[in-house]
Amino acid sequence: MSFFGFDTSLPRDRGHPAAAPGFSQATDHFAGLSNVDDDDDDDGIDFEDTYDGLGDKLDEKDDAFNDVTFGALEEAIGKDFDFHGATARVADAMEEEHEVFNRSARNQSVARVAAAPTQPARVEPPTHVPVLRPDMSLWGSGPTAAPQPEPQPEPAPVAPPVGRKILSLEEVEAQILANNEQRHQSSFQQPPAQGRQLPPQHQHIPPMVGPQLHQYPPQPHDLHQLQSQQFPARIQSMLQRNQTPPQVQHHQIPEHHPGAVSLQQQRMQPMGQPLNPSRNQYGMTNHVPTPQLQKMTEAEKARFLEEESKRLKRNHKIAQLARYNGLMTPADKNFITRIQLQHLVSINNAEDNANEDFYYIVHSAIRARTNPQQPLNQFAQTYLFRQSARGRNRQQDNHLQRMEQQVQRAVAAAKARPKASQLVLEGSLGKISFSNVKTPRPMLNIKKSDAPGGEPIRRTQHSTFSSADRKSLLRAIENVYDALLELEVHERERAKLPILMPDQQPQQAHVEWAEKRDQLAAKLWKETKIMEPIDPTSTATHPFIAILSYSKMKRAVQRIFRHLDPEQRVTVLTMIVVHLGVLDVVKHGVYLPDETQLPSAVREEIEMFAASVLPPLLGYVYEAPLSIVIGLLGILLERVDVVAVSKTKIGLAFLTMFSSRAEIVKQAGGAPENELQQWQMMYDRLFDSLQEHWMECFPPGMFVDDVYVWQFLASIAVGANMPQQQALVSAVKDRVMENVRASKTLPPELGAQKSANVNLFMRAIGLDVELLG
Amino acid sequence: MLFFSFFKTLVDHEVTIELKNDLSIRGTLKSVDQFLNIKLDDIMVLEEAKYPHLAAVRNVFIRGSVVRYVHLPAGAVDTALLEDATRRGMFPEFLAGG
Repeated sequence: MSFFGFDTSLPRDRGHPAAAPGFSQATDHFAGLSNVDDDDDDDGIDFEDTYDGLGDKLDEKDDAFNDVTFGALEEAIGKDFDFHGATARVADAMEEEHEVFNRSARNQSVARVAAAPTQPARVEPPTHVPVLRPDMSLWGSGPTAAPQPEPQPEPAPVAPPVGRKILSLEEVEAQILANNEQRHQSSFQQPPAQGRQLPPQHQHIPPMVGPQLHQYPPQPHDLHQLQSQQFPARIQSMLQRNQTPPQVQHHQIPEHHPGAVSLQQQRMQPMGQPLNPSRNQYGMTNHVPTPQLQKMTEAEKARFLEEESKRLKRNHKIAQLARYNGLMTPADKNFITRIQLQHLVSINNAEDNANEDFYYIVHSAIRARTNPQQPLNQFAQTYLFRQSARGRNRQQDNHLQRMEQQVQRAVAAAKARPKASQLVLEGSLGKISFSNVKTPRPMLNIKKSDAPGGEPIRRTQHSTFSSADRKSLLRAIENVYDALLELEVHERERAKLPILMPDQQPQQAHVEWAEKRDQLAAKLWKETKIMEPIDPTSTATHPFIAILSYSKMKRAVQRIFRHLDPEQRVTVLTMIVVHLGVLDVVKHGVYLPDETQLPSAVREEIEMFAASVLPPLLGYVYEAPLSIVIGLLGILLERVDVVAVSKTKIGLAFLTMFSSRAEIVKQAGGAPENELQQWQMMYDRLFDSLQEHWMECFPPGMFVDDVYVWQFLASIAVGANMPQQQALVSAVKDRVMENVRASKTLPPELGAQKSANVNLFMRAIGLDVELLG
Repeated sequence: MLFFSFFKTLVDHEVTIELKNDLSIRGTLKSVDQFLNIKLDDIMVLEEAKYPHLAAVRNVFIRGSVVRYVHLPAGAVDTALLEDATRRGMFPEFLAGG
């Protein structure tokens, strides 16, 4: 502290000044700017000082009509006035334009003659022409171009050189029409038979028109014209379309020149690139020189034009896409590729896929089977990559193969990498878990204890299966399903095997497949527990019957049946028949004395059994030989209480199944005599045991579904002899009459249904409901 | 992946998505991804009077994490197959070993 308030410390004591540049200080690039703000008092220039106040004197009260005076300024101000800028941008193109122009200018007088007759007003005073002629100096090329249009101003006198006077309008038109027709019919090089001014036209139009054809931006109307019109006709139509007076034609010629066209293109293109004459705006070369076109025949020309238009279309497409060129840097692309590849690695893992995407794959397959005419759109899209790309052309194939190989390599690499689902970095506060498409970052991480507790318990359950509890039964059903699914997946894999000709030896793959199939089928068979010995003394239910009491198992029967051989099928059937009395649907299917309806759970089970278990069994029985039917009915009569069984829907269904099959075999003939006798014995036993109990077959109540009873009675009645039939009829007579009466009081369709049911039985004994009146 | 697989089969079916903010949107399922993000087309908000600002919206992208329920068209669900798929999902290592 000094007396005068100065800072007396030496600079070295103060340390590095904060404002001075140094190592410890980040350079402030904008420091200079802020300084200006700080000391603007010192600067001489101040707005208030320099402003002369002229703006205040402006009269602004009449501004309201500015719009009227100068035109509305709603649209953005264009840059049309920027002539110098526009010209500078296209300077290159204009050089070319001039060159081409110079080349063609030599022929212009003739070309103009060719074009001139299209308009009747060609006798106009030529003084107008110079006014409208493009001033080449304006375009920066100066004297070289300017003199060239010189010979143009005399349109009429030059055209008909000898002999001919000025043509009338009609004459000119007639000539043009004739020329056109001829040109349409003949090829270009054919000498025209018309007026003498025409040969030069043929020689000289192409240089003018040809480049135009190639250089024109591929806009739709040009495509259309290329396809549909020949050149001279095109010129005319163009002229007519533009409503061009004849004097303007000179002006038009440069306009249609390649240079001018590319000038337009330049304007359309945001980033003007130097054009080179043989390339169009998208950098694609115009490979076919025009003179070739002339030498082609009509067919070739058509083909050429078609190709040309195709090419133009393609170019147009490419050009549209090219707008987005360069939007992504290589790093961006790499990033995307990595993501895509990772995606592929995780979804294209074939064997995982079948498990992970099981529902979708199978659902789509089923849907495709149920309506095959609908293509597998989405499915194909999703799995096209996996499905081999047969039937496509080579080039695509190559790409796909290469891609596939790359993906395979990527998958292999990803698999080879150690699989850690998370990473604990030292010092990090948590675990970093990797996620991919299939396993998004897990929110919960529950450690599965590989405790030895689980296994032994299950093993003990297996051993004590006979005293089955609900849980172990459900477990057993799940095992059946697992085996079944495994087998089904394996069956599906058969499609991947090479197709065998009938006379071909099965290959190694087929043998292996069949072995695996048999093995899996055996496993499935074992899991059904059907081969567990039947212990007649035991009170416990047979495991197969026990698990069959669950609707889950009932649903599986149909699917299991497909994989069983005939012997196994008859085993299943026998097993069910033996235990028919203890089958849940039969045991619970009997109506209690005061019941008019079964509990809904039981009804559901019965429906399920009828829908899932009966059809495969029926399918088997309807093709079984008589001996098996006799055997099964014999077991049924021996082991099961037939009267009790006959009171249930499922029980009756089995009885109906056997009796109707036997009847069909009997009537078809060809069955051995002793079998028929055996069957007759069985039938008599069945009839006798059910005698006096026929009415008990009917469910209680009048208005219930009793069609299955009538079906059963009908199947019995068909095989009955006279006394049996009489006994049957007298037993159910009351019921028949009741039904017939009821059918008359019921609404028409219900009544018809009821009488039709009764008729099933009546027809079997050779009667009809109608006869009862 | 089971749900992903399942929802993929519902593409082009009409579903109702109930969001955690109690908004219910019915529309045609256009696509779904592994995060169960959902794209709906031709949508209709169930209580339109309550959410007038959504009256003009035709399609939406719904982030999977904000979905509470998806009401399914019963006809498009194959229950038995779904059960099988669940079974397969449960024991992939078992099946791979067998």
